[in-house]
Amino acid sequence: MNQTKVHPYQRSVSIIGVGCTPFMYTVDKEETNGLTEGELFGYAALKAMEDAGVNPQDVDFYFHGEASPLNGSNYLTPNIHVTNWFGMKGKASIHHSEACCTGYYAVEEAVNAVASGKYDCVLSGCVEFGDSLAVPNHPYRREKMTMDKFLQTTAWLYDRAYTRSLMAGQELIYDDAAEWYKRTRGLTDEQMDDTLNWMCINNRRNASKNPLAIERKTYEEYAKEAGFDNVMDYMRSPYNPKMGDFLRASGLELKCDGAAAVVVCATELVDRYMGNRSHKPIEVLGIGCAACEATTPHFEVRATEEAVRQVYEVTGVRPEEIDIFYANDFIVTSHLVAAEIAGYLPYGEGWKYICEGRTAYDGDKPINTNGGRTSFGHAHAASGLADLYEAVHQMRGEAGEGQVKKLPKTAMLRGYGGAQNICTYIIRTKD
Amino acid sequence: MAIQLEKVVETFYENLEKGKITGKRCTKCGAVEFPPVYACNSCGCWDMEWVEISGNAKLHSIVMPAPLSNKPEYKAMGKFAYGEVELEEGSRLNAVVRGINKKKRKEILEAGKLPVPVRAAIYQRDGFKTVVFDLVED
Repeated sequence: MNQTKVHPYQRSVSIIGVGCTPFMYTVDKEETNGLTEGELFGYAALKAMEDAGVNPQDVDFYFHGEASPLNGSNYLTPNIHVTNWFGMKGKASIHHSEACCTGYYAVEEAVNAVASGKYDCVLSGCVEFGDSLAVPNHPYRREKMTMDKFLQTTAWLYDRAYTRSLMAGQELIYDDAAEWYKRTRGLTDEQMDDTLNWMCINNRRNASKNPLAIERKTYEEYAKEAGFDNVMDYMRSPYNPKMGDFLRASGLELKCDGAAAVVVCATELVDRYMGNRSHKPIEVLGIGCAACEATTPHFEVRATEEAVRQVYEVTGVRPEEIDIFYANDFIVTSHLVAAEIAGYLPYGEGWKYICEGRTAYDGDKPINTNGGRTSFGHAHAASGLADLYEAVHQMRGEAGEGQVKKLPKTAMLRGYGGAQNICTYIIRTKD
Repeated sequence: MAIQLEKVVETFYENLEKGKITGKRCTKCGAVEFPPVYACNSCGCWDMEWVEISGNAKLHSIVMPAPLSNKPEYKAMGKFAYGEVELEEGSRLNAVVRGINKKKRKEILEAGKLPVPVRAAIYQRDGFKTVVFDLVED
């Protein structure tokens, strides 16, 4: 497969502020029904600016991400539609969309813009209504997005000329990584099933400690309510049916609504921008990116291998230096596969770490401490920046009840999506 | 050779209507792109020539269709699976392989038979023909 040589940045860039809405089913509740794109994006953007200690006029440019603006919002230029909401009227912006990887490319775009020297301080935000659709010709009403409507548009993720016609690439997204892991690591069907279930249990334990997560009730509680003494018996039961060849219902994303944002600036200018803010900036050491279209066998595995190779090469960081790991796991298998390819979990052993609970927030190898896509929720474009929001709070020691045991200094985050983009980056707290 | 604006996709599907499964072969390194595209993904050369593929291939992985990964229109294919297929010409792609159900998969995996031989076939979908593969039984 083709490879890319990534070069160090022209100047260092640091994260100085993050913001995130709760992830929500907005139309289900009176207090959130009627919220708009500008309100969600604007809230996350202003929270990130407040966190950074900057005024909107200090920010030179912003990036806007939304995975499905035409279908979800009836927007063609969604960056412009929200532009008056957060004090940056007149400043330029770009919209980008890489489906479920959008919130990861949001970081790539912002860092490049500052590292190049063109801008000193940039905002990058993402918003998505993953659970509802705009009612045409109404200023704020939305209607629930049914699974049928959702699947109609996710079909558009795949190439019309060949992939849809050949009928395989779009169907393999659910189970290809599990098949690959089970076959190459020699697991039994039962071991693979338990591993997938434990990822969901761990994710939910993490989300139970996170006030922004959409689903906080643990699987232990669900099991008890259903009359099970053992949570794994519940996870293997018809309460958690097989939806894929390996994948169960618990391993699927909870599609929802939300927004998140980050402010980055040149590291050399941190004192000017952050003023009296007391938290340390977090430097973006490097970003690796790759893509494998869905006809490519094991697309997630191959693109992750290349992106991880790039980011380790350009940063010089070693896998053993990573203290905390995040992976876009809208199919929960991703979090095992990505962590093992990144060397965060040892080859062939990652599944054991997961089944022993070592990857939960209170374990020694924490993954997706916000609960991941299966419990924190998946507001498609926004989820990647929600991961960054959580990582930054963990690295500052501000994650509350869900704070990991050892304060993380270095984090790796791996985004995935859009049939299929991969974007992987390493961040480190500045001393 | 100059870069040509060419209807590669239409030609690919028209060739299927004529009973031919075709790809593009790189005139520089010999790699075959299937399905056909403008440039070689192995060496980057854009001087490509049409080639009929033999249809002989190997299946390296097996994933069974399930509620999320099946569609009503796939029923007409009978029993089938998805997997990584390697053409005799070297291209690898995700494809449908007919002739595999759960029992057959179990038999293949327990006997350690992967990769197993498969053969390309032209399959009529609603309004156009496409390419699937058939398990080659012993």
